[in-house]
Amino acid sequence: MPQDKTIKRFTFISGCLSWVLLLVNVLFLARQGHEGEANAAFPYLSNLLSVIFILSVFLYQRHHVQRQRSTEFTTPLWGLFVKGGLGAYLCLLFSIGYPGLNQHWVNSPYLLDVFYQVVFGLLVYFLGKAFYTWRQLILYQKTKDVQNQWKWFEILVFISLLVPLFNVEYMNHIFLILDLGLLLGYSLYMSVHLRWVAFLSLDKKWGSILLLTAILASGALFAKFLFQYTDSPELVIDYTDNPFLLLTLAFVLFYALASLLVALFSLPTSRVFEQKNADLLSFQRLSQTIQQGKNEEEVYNMLFESAIKATGADAAWLDIGEATHLDTSQINGSPLDEEVQAMVKAFMTMVHEQDSSAIDQTYLNGELHLLPEFKSLHSPYFSLLVVPLVSAKRRYGHLYLLLEVEQGFDPDTVSVVQSFANQTVLTIENLRLMQESLHNERYKEELKIASLVQDRLNPKTFPTDTWFDISTYSQAAKEVGGDFYDYLQLSESRIAIIIGDVSGKGISAAFHMAQMKGIFHGLMQQDLLPDEFMVQANSALSRCLERTSFITSALYIIDYKMQGVSFARAGHCHTLYYNSMMEDTFYFQTEGLGLGIVRDASYAKRIHRLHYDYNPGDVMVIYTDGIVEARSPRQEEYGEERLKYMLSQTYHLEAEDIKSAIINDVNDFSSDILHDDQTLLVIKFKHRQPNN
Amino acid sequence: MKIKHTISDNTITISLDGELDASSSVLLDEELSNPSIMMFGKILVDCKNLNYISSAGLGVFISHLQRFEDAQIKLIFFNMQEKVRNVFEILGLDLLMTIVSSYEEAVTIAND
Repeated sequence: MPQDKTIKRFTFISGCLSWVLLLVNVLFLARQGHEGEANAAFPYLSNLLSVIFILSVFLYQRHHVQRQRSTEFTTPLWGLFVKGGLGAYLCLLFSIGYPGLNQHWVNSPYLLDVFYQVVFGLLVYFLGKAFYTWRQLILYQKTKDVQNQWKWFEILVFISLLVPLFNVEYMNHIFLILDLGLLLGYSLYMSVHLRWVAFLSLDKKWGSILLLTAILASGALFAKFLFQYTDSPELVIDYTDNPFLLLTLAFVLFYALASLLVALFSLPTSRVFEQKNADLLSFQRLSQTIQQGKNEEEVYNMLFESAIKATGADAAWLDIGEATHLDTSQINGSPLDEEVQAMVKAFMTMVHEQDSSAIDQTYLNGELHLLPEFKSLHSPYFSLLVVPLVSAKRRYGHLYLLLEVEQGFDPDTVSVVQSFANQTVLTIENLRLMQESLHNERYKEELKIASLVQDRLNPKTFPTDTWFDISTYSQAAKEVGGDFYDYLQLSESRIAIIIGDVSGKGISAAFHMAQMKGIFHGLMQQDLLPDEFMVQANSALSRCLERTSFITSALYIIDYKMQGVSFARAGHCHTLYYNSMMEDTFYFQTEGLGLGIVRDASYAKRIHRLHYDYNPGDVMVIYTDGIVEARSPRQEEYGEERLKYMLSQTYHLEAEDIKSAIINDVNDFSSDILHDDQTLLVIKFKHRQPNN
Repeated sequence: MKIKHTISDNTITISLDGELDASSSVLLDEELSNPSIMMFGKILVDCKNLNYISSAGLGVFISHLQRFEDAQIKLIFFNMQEKVRNVFEILGLDLLMTIVSSYEEAVTIAND
């Protein structure tokens, strides 16, 4: 922030300037004392300059000390010690050398004043840095209360700066002493906010203890220097009169001491906290594996490492299925005792045989040495924990953990390992689900393509001619189906129309449907009669259709010069017809066996051809069984009768409208639920147009 | 779909109960593929409770038809419901297979 920078720059300059001016003023004052002559110095100016200096240093630090974001607490402590605390040791060196220095080299009455000013400067810098470092520690994971408490503490402490500013001898005023005493109490209270200590790991705790001791020593040294020379007659200024310095010094020392003691006493328990923290981290890692795109191998590794860390197991292995997937030799290099491993496995098999439900339960034994098998082995292990990796659907394996102490696994640890195992199973299952859905996605894509290809196989448009009007509808129950229809223009006035249905649904039906279309186009090049076509198609299909499959089909050849239609029905649905002359709606009752049912020459006897002369205005409806076998929610069939009735009501409409009326009626009947592929063709014969 | 069979002398009677669709026709296929069925001279299929037959169900009968014929085993359907019979008729199977109305008739034909 630029504002921060400005403040820091300004306070830095004002701090340096005020300290130099203070030194000059003090030296002038000292000279006054020594020589008795008045000069430019005022005693009050020292107070003012010292207050400016203190304020500058504290404000500078206020903006300089960085906010505590991580749990790296030793770094600010180290910074405090190096930048602030070392000043005290510098002063110590100086004070040791002072008598010698004074006697042998400099011998100046001003030396002590200069030294005292240096001590003052370093002390204020140390206090400012420590004060705001402590602020960061106190406000770590702050609550609103703590924040408010600190705000008032800071304000009150700064108010105490008024005392030297007004040049008041606080020792003379009992209420001031009381106030300052209360403030001291407040600072003591602030020292109980030591939340940060709990976040230190064991190593960091030791480091912090060391640093806090060093900081405490620095503070104590500063205090010693401050008070040591107060009564020296040479000194012209006495900073022990400044309650602000005393207060902050007391606070800094209190807080350092409190932190030190708390860190020291929490040393024995920190292992527990670390363990819990590690368990928590392991959980997080396990649960985040899916997002990170890990594979099963990595998940098992993670489980294995986490479980060993949580239990401190001396030996462990993970069986996935029957084989050992991981063991401790891969982690710490010491090979697993195969005899022990075999014995444990044999023993567990025995346990599982005794109680079949035990295989999915955690097994815990803390006194392996009491079992004769293990005793004879001289195995060093006394405790065994076996945790199964199971889900409701599957058994993945078992995790074996061994300890060299008796009753080594406490219930808490066991439940942590169980949770790891559960989380692992969950993660593995999710991973598999995800892969499965990816696979399915691919199949769906391919089916979509198949569906598109098939859709293209059924012609969308028929040759438009004035002799007849044709409208088609086709809907597969699944992505691909077994229904088909097609046409072939045989000559200028003759067209062949085929409709069919392959038994079964889905992909295999779709293949046969495509095959049948090929047969249609191949054979009809020879301009066969409908029954001849069926015989040859049956013969062709006999060679490639599997035994349980068959095809029903009907072939119509319409000759509009002769105004006649001849057709053959091979097991396909009856043709519905409206005769406009007789005003009659009926089904053609022809006989004919489906294709692929009888696979020899005898088929020729079972197929018949019918010829019918049509009149303009006649309507022919051809369809597949998906239409007449459409089911209502009450499992009733649509049926031939209802279809016939529909045509008798709509024959006067255009082919397109007849088709729509029938399809709407079928969909209403079946509540739009499709059980089978549906195909419908409506052909309406028309009057001969004069221009043709 | 429930498939039951009763055996008497040279005759096995298979009764079909329910809907013969794609999944249940697998059961029927297993039943008819059983080699022991070839020991009988006559197979009677009771269709009294057969409510529906899909093309897959028809396919099973069709696929075994030739085999039974070659082994001179008679396959006779009886008690068939109207709409199921209609399916057989449309496909032309009524001319290929023996479909009669009652058990007695089936037995008579079988013993001819």
